[in-house]
Amino acid sequence: MDVGFSEGQLELRAAVRDVLAKECPPALVRSCLDDSEAWRPLWQRAVDLGWTGLALLDDDNGMGVIELIAVLEELGAAAAPVPLLSSAGLAAGALRAAGPAAAEWQQELADGAVGALCVDTSPGSLDASRADLLVVIAGGELSVVRPGAGVVLAPLDAVDPSRPMARVTVETDASTEVVLPVSVPAALAIPLTATAAELVGLATRVLDIAVAHAGTREQFDRVIGSFQGIKHRLADGYVAIERARGLTYAAAMLAADPDADRVDAWRAAALAKAAAGDAATETTRAGVQVLGALGMTWEHDMHLYLRRAWQLSPLLGDSAALYRDAASSLVGAR
Amino acid sequence: MDLRETEEQRAVRADYAQWLSDFLPADYYDKYADYRWDYELRKAYQLASFEAGWLQPAWPREHGGRALGPLEALTVRLESAMRAAPKLPNIQGVGVVAPGLRSFGTSEQQERHLVPVLRGDEWWALGMSEPGAGSDFAGLRTRAVRDGDRYVVNGQKIWTTQAHESRFATLYVRTDPDAPKHRGISCLILDMESPGVTTRPIRMATITDETFCEVFLDDVEIPVTSVLGAENEGWKVAMSSLDHERDMIWVMNWVEISRGVREVQKRGDSLDDHQLVELGRRMADAEALRMTGYRSLTSSLRGDRSKEFFILKLLGSESLQRTWELAATVAGADGLADGALAFERHDALAATLYGGTSEVQRNIIGERVLGLPKG
Repeated sequence: MDVGFSEGQLELRAAVRDVLAKECPPALVRSCLDDSEAWRPLWQRAVDLGWTGLALLDDDNGMGVIELIAVLEELGAAAAPVPLLSSAGLAAGALRAAGPAAAEWQQELADGAVGALCVDTSPGSLDASRADLLVVIAGGELSVVRPGAGVVLAPLDAVDPSRPMARVTVETDASTEVVLPVSVPAALAIPLTATAAELVGLATRVLDIAVAHAGTREQFDRVIGSFQGIKHRLADGYVAIERARGLTYAAAMLAADPDADRVDAWRAAALAKAAAGDAATETTRAGVQVLGALGMTWEHDMHLYLRRAWQLSPLLGDSAALYRDAASSLVGAR
Repeated sequence: MDLRETEEQRAVRADYAQWLSDFLPADYYDKYADYRWDYELRKAYQLASFEAGWLQPAWPREHGGRALGPLEALTVRLESAMRAAPKLPNIQGVGVVAPGLRSFGTSEQQERHLVPVLRGDEWWALGMSEPGAGSDFAGLRTRAVRDGDRYVVNGQKIWTTQAHESRFATLYVRTDPDAPKHRGISCLILDMESPGVTTRPIRMATITDETFCEVFLDDVEIPVTSVLGAENEGWKVAMSSLDHERDMIWVMNWVEISRGVREVQKRGDSLDDHQLVELGRRMADAEALRMTGYRSLTSSLRGDRSKEFFILKLLGSESLQRTWELAATVAGADGLADGALAFERHDALAATLYGGTSEVQRNIIGERVLGLPKG
């Protein structure tokens, strides 16, 4: 048992962080709020750098679930407006549960195609309007569908246009490439874990911003971070984040372990996503509060993170639903 | 990153589990509520663990261990917790005093005190809080004046758990009143039978085996050889002691949360959606605690300072209270006449106080982890 990133994983994470620091400033996220094509150059970089290779989730090649969450934490921290979560985390994560029969489409995603996951329990499908292929889970089956005739995308005018959401309806004349039987909990374990990782990364960055402000802004002749009202709220944010991070690591390790019980892996992923949703919504709310009036402005970047947190938190089930389902599964299993 | 147990972990866990099940009475789990208060069993458990090397598994044989690695030792602690092993009757002796003696004690002090405290033959109290120095521990006023080869101590301690049953105490005193308040403190080993020591138990609001006491010190003479650590370096001893205490507390909290979660699950059929959500939150807390404990251990094994460590006490104690609140809600009217449940609920209220209050934990996280300035 070893609950820390390896040297290689830390290097990968640092490399991703460096690229994003240079090529994914908040200004880029901002431009994606009203320019639906502005995400493409960064996506091309992600493909060129091999990040989309995470879609293979091949532990032997050093691109497994642990690497996936390490990288997605960084994308979350940068609020990166690219569909790596959607492709490598959600679509490819679900495909993995279908076994070797799904390898062809995982490869396509690894090569840079954009994937999206459609699940009827989710309020919408993330990045579906950008997708080259859709992975649809319904009624114990996973199908791979090409956008086009027979696939109706109804864009949701959601809070975070930098990564658009749409409701997807697949009609009988859609071009379905394959239909595979799948266990729904097994198929959702990696997607939930991946979403948790992005939320944890995002919450971490938001806390950093709030702490930096609290450490410099003065009122009553003191730095406001010296007041317990502020300090304790930020400390609670830190606890919420580390609680979620630990659960996310646990979920990733179970998802990566072929011998782990599938329901255990799903339950761990559900708890991780629930905790990460809590951490992200709580820290963004605390972030606005600590920033004061500034936090309500268009000019400050906080709303970029707030939008992302609010968009991701209900994805694949909101925190309350996931906590409830995880508890029910255990009560039912007695 | 790998959650799977190593071969060593699996083996050591199986060994311990077998040993424990051989030790415990056959009806232990059926009558846990009674056995929880069975001091003879709890004392026997401590002695047997000491002799079998399960008491402090990372320590050498003569100190109640079997020289296990830190990871295997944590595995044993969590297994013991999961199996609701009997609680050590004077837990701060083994969990706080003994590590302090090993870190700061002279060889004579270790020779004299370690084995009796580990075997449970001699109980210890932690003489920290005073009427005017609770969370503000460094403001303590109990005074020790050097007189040749001894100190003469005057002052008062309060909230001193089990002082009336203890043979010794780590007594924090002011030895240099002119130094800044953190720098003038020393830790003395107090023989509770010394002339001038008066101990008065304080009646508690609930049934408990961890009674608070007042301890009055009137011209108590303590030899200078009884300083633990160096003179005026008591702050360091205290901080290390608190780290040991918090390391002990989160595992204790985890045990109680897990037990509370099982209580709630027993009533699974009657849970409404809101109660299921709360149950899910507590399940997440318990697992997050365990993972954070492992993350903290991994960091320290790699020689990094673990920032995660600082959340364990706060997360564990807050979650513990919510767990028993949930259990009480779920029990509904039946719970009103359930003395055991009322005890758990009441006892959990202490968790956010001992070992440093939640407010102090938030200050520590804010200042030491996030780097915010002191107030």
